[in-house]
Amino acid sequence: MGSGLFSQLGMAARSMEAQSFGLDATGQNISNANTAGYTRRVVDFASIPPADPRISAGGGVEVTGVRAVRDRLLDRRFYQEQPLQSRAGAIYDSLSVAQTALGNPGASIDAKLSAFFDAWSGLADNPTSSSQRSQVIAQGQQLAASFRDMAGRLVTSQQEADSNVRATVDQINTLANQIASLNQKITATGVDGSLTLRDSQGEALKQLSTLVDIQTITNADGTVQVSFAQGHALVVGENAYTVGITNAATTGFAQVTSGGSDVTKFVSGGKLAGYLNVRDTLLPSYKTQLDTLAYGVATQINTLHTAGFDGNGAAGQNFFNPLATVAGAASQITVNGVVAASPSLVVAASTTGTPGDNTQARAFANLRDSKVLAGGTQTFGDAWSLLTYSVGQDASSAKADQDSRGEVVRQIENLRDSVSGVSMDEETANMMKFQRAYEANAKYFSVVNATLDTLLQLPT
Amino acid sequence: MRVTFQSTFRNGLFDVNQAAERYADKSQQVSSGKRMQSAADDPSAFSGGIRERTEMATLDTFISSGDNATSRLSVADSVLTDFIKEIEAAQSAGAAGRSTVLTQAQRDATSLQIKGLRDAMMQSLNTQYQGIYLFSGGQSNTQPYAAGPPISAYQGDANVQSVDVARGRAVQVTWDGSTIAQGSAATDVFTTLTNLANAVQTGNMTGIDAALLDVNKAHDRATAVQSTVGADIAGLAVDRDRLDSLRRAADTRRSHFEDANMAESISGAAQGQQAYQAALAALGKAGQLSLLDYLK
Repeated sequence: MGSGLFSQLGMAARSMEAQSFGLDATGQNISNANTAGYTRRVVDFASIPPADPRISAGGGVEVTGVRAVRDRLLDRRFYQEQPLQSRAGAIYDSLSVAQTALGNPGASIDAKLSAFFDAWSGLADNPTSSSQRSQVIAQGQQLAASFRDMAGRLVTSQQEADSNVRATVDQINTLANQIASLNQKITATGVDGSLTLRDSQGEALKQLSTLVDIQTITNADGTVQVSFAQGHALVVGENAYTVGITNAATTGFAQVTSGGSDVTKFVSGGKLAGYLNVRDTLLPSYKTQLDTLAYGVATQINTLHTAGFDGNGAAGQNFFNPLATVAGAASQITVNGVVAASPSLVVAASTTGTPGDNTQARAFANLRDSKVLAGGTQTFGDAWSLLTYSVGQDASSAKADQDSRGEVVRQIENLRDSVSGVSMDEETANMMKFQRAYEANAKYFSVVNATLDTLLQLPT
Repeated sequence: MRVTFQSTFRNGLFDVNQAAERYADKSQQVSSGKRMQSAADDPSAFSGGIRERTEMATLDTFISSGDNATSRLSVADSVLTDFIKEIEAAQSAGAAGRSTVLTQAQRDATSLQIKGLRDAMMQSLNTQYQGIYLFSGGQSNTQPYAAGPPISAYQGDANVQSVDVARGRAVQVTWDGSTIAQGSAATDVFTTLTNLANAVQTGNMTGIDAALLDVNKAHDRATAVQSTVGADIAGLAVDRDRLDSLRRAADTRRSHFEDANMAESISGAAQGQQAYQAALAALGKAGQLSLLDYLK
C-alpha cells in the first residue's frame, strides 16, 4: 500500500508537470499572438496505463508532444491565390504611373492636336498672314514636344518596371536562400523540434508567393521543395538555385533565368509577373499606339505640305522631319528646322502664284475630322481617345482583379487563422483550465502526502 | 469556425480601409467637382470626355471662322452698297446729260461728276480688310485696279477663296472684281463710265445711250453679287446659332462624363463619413472584448 501511495505522489507530480506544460504552451501562444507566420501550439496529453490494473487505476498523464496546428491544403490554396492577387496589384500600381503620364482630358495631346489644327484654320482664314504661319509652326513644335514627352514618360515607366523586376528577383533569391537555410536547420533539429523553424519557413513561403508563382512540396522531414515558373527549381533541400538576370540584347531589359535558361515567359504570378507584363506587353502596346498616332500626324501633314505651295510660291517642303518607321515615331517627331526658321515656307496654297489661296490650309484644318488612321476608320482624336481608354481599361481591370482575388486571399487567410491562429478567448480558457488542473493535482499531492504521513505515524 | 485575434483585426482593418477609400473618393469628388480622378475610374467616360472636348474645340474653330467671315462679308456688303449707289448716281448723271438744253459748262461739270464717281467705284473695289484686297480673287496682296488715267485692267484673278464655317459648309470671302466690274461685257464699268463722261461732255446722245446700257448691266452684276453676300451673311447667322447649340450639347455631354453630380457626391461623402466612423467604432469595440475582462 505504501508503494501505491508513493506512486500516487509520482503521478501527482507528473500531472502537475503536464498541466504546467499546458500553461507554458498557452503562454507561448499568447506571447506570439501577433507574430507573423506563428501557428498555435497544442499540447498532446496521453493517459499512462496502469502497470497492474488490479492495484492501480493508471499512471496519470504524460505529455506526448507539442504540435503546431496547420492545414497544408489551405497553405497550398494560399500559395495559388496570393501570386495572382500580387500580379494584379503590381500591374495596377505600375499603370497608375502611366495614367498620370497621360494627363487629363483637355490638357494633354488632345489639346495640342486641337491647337495645331486651330492654327491651320487660322491660316486658312488669313493665308497671307506671317503671324499665322508662325503660329502654325509654334503649335507644330508644341505638338511634337508633347509626343516626345509622352513617349519619354512611357519609356521611363518601362525602365521603372524593369528596375522593379530586378529588385524582385533579388528579393526572391534572398527568400530562397532563407528557405534553404531553414531546410538545413529543420533537418538538423528533426521534425518534432522544429516548430518555430517551420513557422519561419511558412512565413518565408508566404512572402515568396507575393513575389512569384511557386509550387511547393513538403517532405516528411518538414523540409520544403520550392519551384517556380512552371517547375523550375528554386529550393531543393539545403540548396537554393539562384534566379538570374541577363540583359536582353535589343532593349537591355532584364530577362529572368534559371539554370541558365530564360524563363521570363514562364513566370505567371506574383509581382514579378505583373512587372514583366507591364514592361513587355502593356507599355509597349501603348507606345505602339502613340507611335502610330505620331507617325500618322507627321505623314499626313507632310503629304499635304509637299503637295502645296508656300508663301513664296515655291513647292512645299516636309513640315515635320520625315519618320522612317512607325516604331519610335513619337520620340523622334520634330518640325523641319528649315521650315521652323522661315515661316514663309509654311504652305497654305494649292497653286503657285496665288497668295490668297488657302485651299491647302483648309485641307490641313479639315484633317482634324478626317479618318486617316487604322485603315480609314479613326481620326487623330479617335486614336488618342482609344489610347487613353486602353490604359484606363487595363488599370481598371487590374484593380478589379486585385480586389476580387484579394477577397479570396482574405477568406483563405481567415480560414488559416481559424485553424492556426491564436484566439485570445480560447487561450484564456485554456489558461484557466490548466490552472485549475494544476491546483487540483497539487491538492491531490497534498492529500496523498498527508495520507503517507498518517501511514508513517502508525505505531509499529 | 474559430475567430482569432488576427482575423478580427484583419477583417476590421480591411473594412475600415474600404470605408475610408469610399469616403476619400466622394470627398475628392466634392472638392474637385470631377467624377473621375484618373482614366481607371471610368475608362469609357474618360475617353468620352476627350472626344467631347475635341468636338468643342472644333466647333469653337468653326464659330471663330464664321465670325471672321461675317465681319468680312459685312465689309464687302457695305462696299457693294456704296458701289451700287455710285453706279446709280452715275446713271442719274448720265440720264441728265441727255438733255438738249444743257450748256457746255453744265456738260463739263456732269462729265467731271461721272469721272469722280468712276474713281470712287474703283476705290470701293480696291477695299482692303485686314490688309487683304477683297475683290482681287486669289491675288489678295494685289490691288484689283490701279488708278489712271486710264484705270488699269483687272490685276487680280478668278481664284476666289472660301473658308470653312461648319462641317461641309464653306463661305466665299474674296471676290473676283472683274465679274462685278466687267462680267461678260466688252469693257469694264470704268471704261464705260469714261465713255459716258466723254459722251455727256460732247453731247453724243448715241454714246450716252450705249454707255448707260452697259452701266445698267454693271448695276445688275453688283446687285447680284450683293444678294449672294447678303444670303451668306444671313446663312452665317443661322450657322452661328446652330453651332452654339451644338457646342452647348457637346459641353453638356462632356459634363455628364466628367463632372460630379454634386448633390450625389455630397450625399455620398456624408454617407461615407458615417460608414467610416461606424467601421472605426466596430473595430475599436471588437478589440475591447476579451474573456480576460470577466475573470475574477
